[in-house]
Amino acid sequence: MNRTPRPYIDPYLAGIGIGVVLLAAYVVVGQGLGASGAFASVVASGTAVVQGATRAAASPAVAPYLPHGIASPLQDWLVFELAGVMLGGFTSAWLAGRLRRDVERGSGVGVRQRMSAAVGGGALMGVGAKFARGCTSGQALSGGALLSVGSWIFIASCFAAGYVLAPAARRLWR
Amino acid sequence: MTPLTETGSLGSSGALVAAILIGFAFGWFLERGGLGSAPKLAGQFYVTDLTVFKVMFSALVTAMLGAFWLDRLGVLRLDLVYLPETFVVPQALGGVLFGADFLVAGLCPGTSCVAAAAGRRDGLGVMIGMLIGVWLFNLTFDRIASMYSATPLGAVRLTDLAGVTPGVGVAVVTALALAGFAVANRIERRRA
Amino acid sequence: MNRLHVALAIVAAFAAAAAGVIDRGSVDRSHPGARAAAIEFISAPDLAQRIMSGDRDLRVFDLRTPDAFAQFHVPGAHRATAASLAGEPLAPQTQVVVYADARQTIVEALQALEKRNHRDVLVLREGLYEWLSRVQEPRLASSPTPEERAEFERAAEMSRFFGGVPRAGVPRDEVPQGYWTGLPRSEALLMDAAVKSVAAIRRRGC
Repeated sequence: MNRTPRPYIDPYLAGIGIGVVLLAAYVVVGQGLGASGAFASVVASGTAVVQGATRAAASPAVAPYLPHGIASPLQDWLVFELAGVMLGGFTSAWLAGRLRRDVERGSGVGVRQRMSAAVGGGALMGVGAKFARGCTSGQALSGGALLSVGSWIFIASCFAAGYVLAPAARRLWR
Repeated sequence: MTPLTETGSLGSSGALVAAILIGFAFGWFLERGGLGSAPKLAGQFYVTDLTVFKVMFSALVTAMLGAFWLDRLGVLRLDLVYLPETFVVPQALGGVLFGADFLVAGLCPGTSCVAAAAGRRDGLGVMIGMLIGVWLFNLTFDRIASMYSATPLGAVRLTDLAGVTPGVGVAVVTALALAGFAVANRIERRRA
Repeated sequence: MNRLHVALAIVAAFAAAAAGVIDRGSVDRSHPGARAAAIEFISAPDLAQRIMSGDRDLRVFDLRTPDAFAQFHVPGAHRATAASLAGEPLAPQTQVVVYADARQTIVEALQALEKRNHRDVLVLREGLYEWLSRVQEPRLASSPTPEERAEFERAAEMSRFFGGVPRAGVPRDEVPQGYWTGLPRSEALLMDAAVKSVAAIRRRGC
């Protein structure tokens, strides 16, 4: 892994590539991309393992993710898609010389602080994504391209919140 | 006629195979564009790196124009493509919570998988955080259920609310995106 | 790279402008032949047969107001609402039948059941009206056709089982009409639209 990593490609071309992939999803399976739903599916399955499938399926929050009991994630489109995302991300990073065990962070931030921010931020993103019925992949991108009202509400509020809070979070990234 | 799964041409196992292939391509382009790197993503909010905006909106416009025209050319039944339901208040509040924590975590659910796959432990951290967050949501669901389902509008498009045709909506969004790209270009030139 | 960007922008602008121009006509773009309904109906006579055979795996829910329920309901039906159905203890093999007097009520109930993964749901298509017309209080017109008479004989037998009163020799315009007599009702179209919206909430999610 001593190769110089290749540069990133033009963001517009990457975007067009993703747009074509999203279009392929509409055409092949009649739905857009997504991510947060796969995490919900995994949590639902875990809940079923711990509590038993019947008790888990009685919870209205968990039930929609258990149409096939504990093994539901194994038939969940989003779970398979995210598995593909990891494979694709790995392959691209590998071929570009960007595979690296690392904790990416701002220059003034330690590993522990960064990891806490990652887990904590991730947790609250998980809550936010549940309320919003999706995340940047599912709502902003896929729903946005279909002009869904809720998706655009999400885009606006998501970006607005990020910009408003940026000064407060400067320490993390500078 | 497409979508293939909605017109009986592709079964559920075929759909799962398609999921992996589509996901692979998605992850590939995300990584190629640099969206697997948290500092780069955060740069969007400090206006130092506008990659997120460029990638997201060029993807959105591409898919939007593509879907519109495939529908018009009779290749795609756009009315059979899943359109998410709108819940005004929960999605606005969820968006705020999500955006604030996207800034803190530096990665979103999809890009965290890309980062983790490339070896970034912070990517893995975000993935674990997501699982915890969903779990906490489930635990408290009884208390927040009414808020969660508040203000439903059903599956509705901007063009339905505005009373304009889909083509007009597509044209307006494209124009806004192109204007945004021009602005991004100018911002970057000023910085350089 | 910049020339490529400009070229792409021009392509996008052209495609977008063409979209706006091509679509400047009507706002209404309904697709004929929409996807087949995912909801199954049960006719009142079939439901009656099930009840008469003492089917243990059948639960009938009346989604109307308590007053309406008290006045009359399908024998053996229980009162419910969409909210109560969400928490109602239901064995997985239970066949649920619901009826109401508003489309929206049916849709909400179906959504509630869909969310808890109970898919074995049938809807009494014309609700209590159909039950009364075809089972409980069947009417036979004077000078009936042979088909009408046969249908009436079947219904009369069920009617007696449920304590109703079948009546023959009724003026033709007093005989209840519905989809079973071939009467086209615009409400049927409304029901189809409601059915489509329920099918759409089959969990996809992002």
